Order: sequence, then C-alpha cells, then structure tokens
Amino acid sequence: MSMTPIALAASTSAPASSDTLSRGASGFPSPADDYREAPLDLHHHLVRRPASTFFMRLEGDDHRHAGLHHGDLLVIDRAISPRPGHWLVAAIDGELSVLHLERREAQLYLAPSRPGLATLPFEADDDRLWGVICYAIHALPATGEEPAESSCLR
Amino acid sequence: MFALIDCNNFYAACERLFEPRLEGVPVGVLSNNDGCVIARSEEFKALDIPMGIPTHKIDPALRRRVVLKSSNYTLYGDLSARVQQVLARQVPTLEPYSIDECFLDLRGLQEDWHALGARLVRSVVREVGLPVSIGIAPTRTLAKLANRQAKAQSTRPQVCVWTHADAPDLTAHLRRLSPRDVWGVGERLNARLAGMGVLTAAALRETPDSELRRRFSVVLARTATELNGHPCLSMSDLETPRRSILCSRSFGRPLRDHNALAGALRHHCQRAGEKLRRDAMQASAIGVYLRTNPHHAGTFRHACEWTALPFPSADTQQLNRAAQRLLARLWQPAAYQKLGIMLAELTPRQQSQTTLFDGAEPARREALMEAWDAIRARYGRQALTLGPQPIDASWQMNSAYRSACYTTRWDELPRARAR
Repeated sequence: MSMTPIALAASTSAPASSDTLSRGASGFPSPADDYREAPLDLHHHLVRRPASTFFMRLEGDDHRHAGLHHGDLLVIDRAISPRPGHWLVAAIDGELSVLHLERREAQLYLAPSRPGLATLPFEADDDRLWGVICYAIHALPATGEEPAESSCLR
Repeated sequence: MFALIDCNNFYAACERLFEPRLEGVPVGVLSNNDGCVIARSEEFKALDIPMGIPTHKIDPALRRRVVLKSSNYTLYGDLSARVQQVLARQVPTLEPYSIDECFLDLRGLQEDWHALGARLVRSVVREVGLPVSIGIAPTRTLAKLANRQAKAQSTRPQVCVWTHADAPDLTAHLRRLSPRDVWGVGERLNARLAGMGVLTAAALRETPDSELRRRFSVVLARTATELNGHPCLSMSDLETPRRSILCSRSFGRPLRDHNALAGALRHHCQRAGEKLRRDAMQASAIGVYLRTNPHHAGTFRHACEWTALPFPSADTQQLNRAAQRLLARLWQPAAYQKLGIMLAELTPRQQSQTTLFDGAEPARREALMEAWDAIRARYGRQALTLGPQPIDASWQMNSAYRSACYTTRWDELPRARAR
C-alpha cells in the first residue's frame, strides 16, 4: 500500500526480467512468448482506486446473518457514493463502525444488526460516513487464519 | 495560475482519520523519540501549549486534557502520497513541496478557479479523508499567501482565489501583511526592510526592482516581482527554512535503471546534507518521490514514501542510507522523469538531544561531515562524492504513543466494529 502507482497498465507491470527467464537453456525464445499475458493480480481486482481504498478488520459477529464475520478483511473505497443496500463504515460514538444503509420511505437510515441499538437517520452529506465497503474477504478453515473469538461483548 | 494545497493540521488529521474519538479533542504530535511537541490540532493550539515544548514540561493539568501521539511518518507518508495521487489525477502538473503541501502548476488551464479549487478540496476530503485548503493566484508566492487566507475562512471548502495581482482584496491584504509573512523573507531580511521603511508586503512590492537588487539580492527582487503577479521563482529558488528542505531535479532523459536513480538520489542527499549543515539544522524525517513524465504518452506513475530517521541528523550518509531504502521500496520498472527528496521536522543543531536514551549524532560523525564539507568547498564538489551505501538493518526508537501503521501493515489494520 505504500506505493501509489496511477493507472499502471498491464503491459508495463510485467517484470523486465521475464525476457531472460522465458528463454530456455539453448537461448531460443519460447514460442509461448507471443501469448504471454500478465498474471492475474488480485490486488488490482479488489483495489480499483488505490488512493481512496483502505483495509480494515471487522470486529464482532453481529452481521453474520449477512455473511460478514468477525475477522473478515474489509476493502473500503471512500470514492464510492453510498446507496441504500450498501454496507458502510461510519464513525459512531467515536468508533469506526460497520452498518447497513437502508431506505424507509424517503429517509435513509444506518441500520445496526445488534439487538437493542437504534437505527440512525442518515443524511446525504453525512459527516459520520467514513467509507463504503466493497469487499469482505473471509478466511475459510484451510487457511489457518481463523480469527480468535470475537472480543465484542454483547 | 498556481495553486498551493495544504493539509490542515496534517499530522493530527492523520491520527484522527483512524481514531474518530479524537475528533474535537486536543491532539499533539511528538517529535522523534517523543521529545517535544511538533504538531498540534486546533484544540491543542487553543490551550496555549506552544509548539516545540518539551513533552515533560507540559503542565500536568493540561497533560491530562490532551492526547499525545508519537509521530508516525509511515502513516503520514502514505496518506500524503494518497493526497498527491488524488490531485495528480485532476491537474496537469503537481510539485510536492513538503509532506503536507504541494504546488499545482495550472498554467495553460482555462477554468473557473473557484470551482476547480472547491472540486480539488472536496475530492481530497472525500477520497482520503483529510481536510485541505487551497490558494490559487498568478504566482507561487501569491498562491502561498492565498492558501493562508483560505485557512482563515470558517466556511468550507476553504478556497481563496486571487485572479489578478491588483485585485482590491489582495491589495488590501498585502497592506496588512508584514514582509516577514511572505515566502522567502526571513526575520533578518524583515528587520533590514523595516530599517528602510518597508513595513508591509504591499510596500515591498512597490519598492523599485533596481533598489531591491542593489540593496538586497536578486531573489528578494524576484519575490517582489512575484507579489506583483509575474511568476519568476521556481520551487528550488526558495524553501521554507525552518520546516523542510526539498531537493529535486528533472532528468534530461528519462531514467529507468535503479542504479542510475540511486546515483541521482545520492547526489540529492549530498545537497540536502550540505543545506542542513549550512543552516546548522538537523532533520528527523526524510521522504523520497519519483515520477514519470505526466505529458508523456503511456502510464503515469507518481510514488512517494516517508520514513523517520533513527535520530535527528545532518549526516549525509545517514540521510542517504534512509533514502536509498525508500527508493528500493518505491522503484518499479518505468521511465522516470523526476526524483526528489524532502526533509521534515528540522530543528536547530544545538538543540540536539544528547542523552543516552535519545540517541544523537556522535561527535566524530559531525567532525567527519565538517571535513567532508571542507574538502568539497576547497577541491570542488566532484572531488569527494558519496559512493553506494549498504542497506542497513531496521532501527529502533522511542515512540511510546505511536498510532498503528494503519495503511501499510497487515497486522496493524484499523478495526471496524459490527453494530
């Protein structure tokens, strides 16, 4: 994340050294060279706008019903305009919080999943908005990256 | 037209971005090794705790009301690069000036300047989350003043545009402004100007060019010309003496090779080190930036990264070691047109902290640098130059209240609570 390439084209992102790598011991170029493409880069797929994209870690299991689990890696793009149905990070009570944006009649609301919390009216230009979540990446057991028990007390 | 974009209370704003509880709270950011206060939020300034105060001298009653943070140049550098990236997408030429400021060269554009300024400010607030202000004027010197004016506005977005040097509001502003507040006019020049009856920036720009050249310098005459709306100073002519140093150069032909770039970087480090020692200053943080030609067909790359020095230093080798490590991280195959280094958090050399725990430049390193400067002064700059530097292991320093490197380390990501 420390580097900030702008619109790095696939053609230039192939390492310069690959010319030498693809030659066999005989020194002849591989016939496959003409069909070579840059490998798929998951980072470029998930991060469309590096300047406005941030990663966070989800804390708490209240949104499990929506497929958002404790420990998931959240990809947040601040450049996206929030719409009903989006998951947002918002600063609520001084804390970065994940909520669902919903529309009821003409009014927008930040809807919590945790029982006992009130929905919060949301304005179009709301100061509390931090960013829109575009991906939640969930580790499955085979990765060995299962998060420790949620520290979030109900 | 030129613009100066400046992030408001940059370090404190970076800390707040990932810790919303700090909103409205007095936040102070500490120097390397937590020695003294180097940046303050508006609320912190309102408590009258001065800039530069040693941390242990803050009144305990006040100490309990404020939040102190160790400086986190990794985080500030990443956010600074993001700000530049958002701006670079929207204007033809961007010149980083320090970690929290950059000039935009808007010559050749025909725009509604207010609308452009508002758009740039809003895009940074929205995409990076940092408040910025912008001043737009016919020269860099005026743009810098316009930026200060913009910062004083209570309304958002903070935009100040002076389309002509003779605009009435600008003239009125210069009449109230001391020459000291003009870019490049220091305390000493100000006193000498006062001696000849030049008490305001307006008076400075009305002083005949020939007189300024004769009694002062070409640079001051150019400053006056800039105040009159005619661009004639480049970024390298002037720098803020106290806060930062910038050494950069465009290459005659694009450079691709890492070794060639490393050589250019050594050159800049030599110059920056000499500037520091000439002014009896030392730096605590260093940034390196690289960019390809924005007017060239193909991909545009603009990369910039900052790091803290293990202790405040004016040692060319120390600067170079840190800079080369940044370059190694930034470099990707591309045709680069410009390379630069920036130094931040400059402090006078005599205030160097010399306790066992703080770490400081050993005296023999200082003696070495003295000999170095003497040899180069006597036998020419080519007589002695810096060779390649080994890349050192990691270093450690005191930063008890450092925030996480939220944007650059997987194990320090911010946590967002499910509600």
